[in-house]
Amino acid sequence: MDYSNLRRQAASLKKGLFDQGHLDEQFRQVEDLQDEASPNFVEEVVVVFFKDSGRLISNLEQALEKYPRDFNRWDAYMQQLKGSCSSIGASRMKNECMSFRDNCGQRSVEGCMGSLQKLKREHAILRQKLESYFQVTLEAPPCQSWCHDRWIISINLLTDVCMFTMQLLRQVGPAGAATRPAM
Amino acid sequence: MTSSLKALLVDYMAVERMVVSSMLRNFHCEITLAKNGKEAVDMFLEGNEFDIVVCDKDMPIMTGPEAIVKIRAMGATDVKIVGVSADDNAMEAFMGAGADDFVPKPVRPEILQPMVQEVINKKKN
Repeated sequence: MDYSNLRRQAASLKKGLFDQGHLDEQFRQVEDLQDEASPNFVEEVVVVFFKDSGRLISNLEQALEKYPRDFNRWDAYMQQLKGSCSSIGASRMKNECMSFRDNCGQRSVEGCMGSLQKLKREHAILRQKLESYFQVTLEAPPCQSWCHDRWIISINLLTDVCMFTMQLLRQVGPAGAATRPAM
Repeated sequence: MTSSLKALLVDYMAVERMVVSSMLRNFHCEITLAKNGKEAVDMFLEGNEFDIVVCDKDMPIMTGPEAIVKIRAMGATDVKIVGVSADDNAMEAFMGAGADDFVPKPVRPEILQPMVQEVINKKKN
């Protein structure tokens, strides 16, 4: 399998996420928290983020249908979502959260509805792009671990060759050794 | 030998608990989690002791500032309390409630680390 090509693809997908403004520097901070003890940390955080944010958006949609209009409640939901977005670096989603809160401040129902629709679009786009990214990274492990695996395979192969050679020599025995020409 | 601090992390959102607890773990903290202010207060009522509390502001049931007022009223004056929030106006609410410090969200490890180090140094002395 051409791991280098897959890694290039993963890098390109990630660059696109940053260049298009979906992610900001905070995502790199989250990546820095990933280590050997928690090798899938970033993906786990992203999974939890989409679970949390999906739930909040759903709660907000229900709240928007209720009367009387409770802008404070809507704002509270969006404040929570904004915090989560900023924690993983979901930049465009965070901006839509701020736009929604501005509309809450202006008591604009239409504005809030419009912001929510944009937020849902950004949520869906980010989810799809990150899913694609993680799918590729799953197929192309980071070079460090791949190189480490290559070394392990090489060492195991060398060990097998040595063992085989020793067994062969034992079978040949002293008689075989006596027929060998003197050095 | 690195001191292990007892940290209480209070945040309603799971993703934020994951990210900040990972940072605190890197700073060699032993972490307890709470999902809202009431859970945090209950931890203290149960006799748990912490060296540092990192607490969000807006949470259901009991907010961060509300919890901090209660924690300080219980006599827990030595524990360092750091308020965190994405809300631009949160600092005043936290400091007024009795927090020692405030960190805006997203929490950066380079901002949090000196605060943790301060507690470590204080504990050593």
